Amino acid sequence: MTEGRYVYCVGENNERINLGRIGIEGSQVYTIPYKDLCAVVHNCPAQPYESKDKKVVESWIIAHEETIETAWKRLGTVLPLGFDTIIKADEEDPEEVVKAWLKEDYQSLEEKLNKVKGQVEYGVQISWDTKIITRELIEKDPELKRLEQEITSKPKGVAYMYKQKLEKLIRGKLEKEAERCFKEFYETIKHCTDEVKVEKLKKEDEPRQMLMNLSCLADKDDRTLGGELEKFNNREGFFVRFIGPWPPYSFV
Amino acid sequence: MEPERECKNRATLVDLLDRVFDKGVVIHADLIISVAGIPLIGVNLRAALAGMETMLKYGMLQDIDAKTRMWEAQHRKNEQVPLIEAEEVTLKMFGSYYYSKGIYRAWKSGYFYLTNFRLLLYYQDIAEVAFQTPLEKITAIKIRREKSFTGKDKDIIYLALEGEKVARLNVLQTQEFIEKLGDLQEKIGVGLDGELLPEELDERANNFLMDGERICCQEKMWHLMPKSGIMAESWKPGYLYLTNKRLCWWYEFEGKILFQVPIDKITGAIQERRNLSAVLIDKKVLDVVYSNNESKIVASFSGKETEEWQKTLNRMIAKESSQIGDKEIETCPQCGKKAPVKQLLEKGCPRCGWVSPRLKKTKVVSS
Repeated sequence: MTEGRYVYCVGENNERINLGRIGIEGSQVYTIPYKDLCAVVHNCPAQPYESKDKKVVESWIIAHEETIETAWKRLGTVLPLGFDTIIKADEEDPEEVVKAWLKEDYQSLEEKLNKVKGQVEYGVQISWDTKIITRELIEKDPELKRLEQEITSKPKGVAYMYKQKLEKLIRGKLEKEAERCFKEFYETIKHCTDEVKVEKLKKEDEPRQMLMNLSCLADKDDRTLGGELEKFNNREGFFVRFIGPWPPYSFV
Repeated sequence: MEPERECKNRATLVDLLDRVFDKGVVIHADLIISVAGIPLIGVNLRAALAGMETMLKYGMLQDIDAKTRMWEAQHRKNEQVPLIEAEEVTLKMFGSYYYSKGIYRAWKSGYFYLTNFRLLLYYQDIAEVAFQTPLEKITAIKIRREKSFTGKDKDIIYLALEGEKVARLNVLQTQEFIEKLGDLQEKIGVGLDGELLPEELDERANNFLMDGERICCQEKMWHLMPKSGIMAESWKPGYLYLTNKRLCWWYEFEGKILFQVPIDKITGAIQERRNLSAVLIDKKVLDVVYSNNESKIVASFSGKETEEWQKTLNRMIAKESSQIGDKEIETCPQCGKKAPVKQLLEKGCPRCGWVSPRLKKTKVVSS
């Protein structure tokens, strides 16, 4: 079986360091340096880690993440790699293949390290409760309010049609409001971070609805983002999920 | 606000997975082992954490960027089946409805909602109510075991609807569906006292039968379609129906009646064996003679029971003609008075006394 090197991350260090048996399945993790960069690896067969057992996969993911964090603490800023990235060596010395890679991508890796130096990644998800927001929109709009009142006084059939109309108007208003909020939040968040990436929305249970899902790159010790998010979270009907900090997966 | 971090926490683990599977530094494909199995691990794990049902919820199979997120929000609102106020759903069941219009026929699938007001079928993908009927309009139900095109047997539910075509449905759990429907109808005091006639179960008949029309006989028959434009005459497959009103032939390919003649216009029917073409040797053919304004036309059909058809049609013609004799009005050749044919021929003209020569002859003979 050909040998491989499971790569966790790339750091800025020119020494060979042993980080201990902290890797996946308790593997021995160490660094392979090339000039000023090093790859954090463990030895394994050239075969991806696969399992149908979800608990096993979960433990692997956690080991992957925690190894990166340990390396981060030891080496300073690191560039994380995705799960199950294994460099293979058919005939050559696997160590040489790793060095060859670092040599090849040296400039690009250096640039990336400089970009994310001292920074971390946060996840920001903002949702609203459509029921609460709808209530607010109706209260603030006289036409909607009037329409809502009319419904209660009309016979069933007519009321049904009015209700359809009201719902259609509300949908339109919600759409506009969602766009407005998105812009507002986005601008604010952009101002207190270095970079922002828009991610896929996640489906939530009614009446919750996700408005935005962002990955943010910010300085490790900067508290501004947290402050602004707190303000949004305090608004009636809004819910903010602030997650992290993580190594900058989304910005490499 | 402090960020939540604990990666062993279920919720944050999902967010970590998004990053660990889809992101990070990318190494040249040549250097690494292909990791074909990984996406599955990611998908399965994320699904397991989120619950299988919500796999789609996590937008893994959709690619939504900032511009289309509002489409999603809008779409999600539309996914709700449109219920009326005070309407309660008794049963929601996956099933399909046979939709046919012209040559377009298909089983359309969606979710059936049985409520205290109606039965409806909702297609979630396009947010459309594909079929609905108030409970009161269902007058009869029949279940038939039929072979689907996949070869498997399935129960088809036929619902007779007042003033509408018979509806054909198929659901996952037929028994439960029928039971619940029965319960509901009982509750609102509606009975299934109507009956489903055999012709209503026939999809074709359902399409062309008119009010008060009943099928007397039917058979799969080929019909010699006359010349049309540059098309030469040719034999086409279909179904011949004799109803209490007309003789008509359904062309399978176009899904409609292409030939029809009212019964009282048919004057004769003869069957014989004929060579229809170089290859169609010695086939049974039924020739139906009918009048169209001034001329007589022959329509030809080929099938197994042509002798039966000949007998039936001729019997029918005889009955008609005796009936017609009573009603048909002719003018007296002498004075122009309008009188029933039967009377003119048997008794003579009531006004001028003209008598048909045939009658004169017999009269003379008898006297």
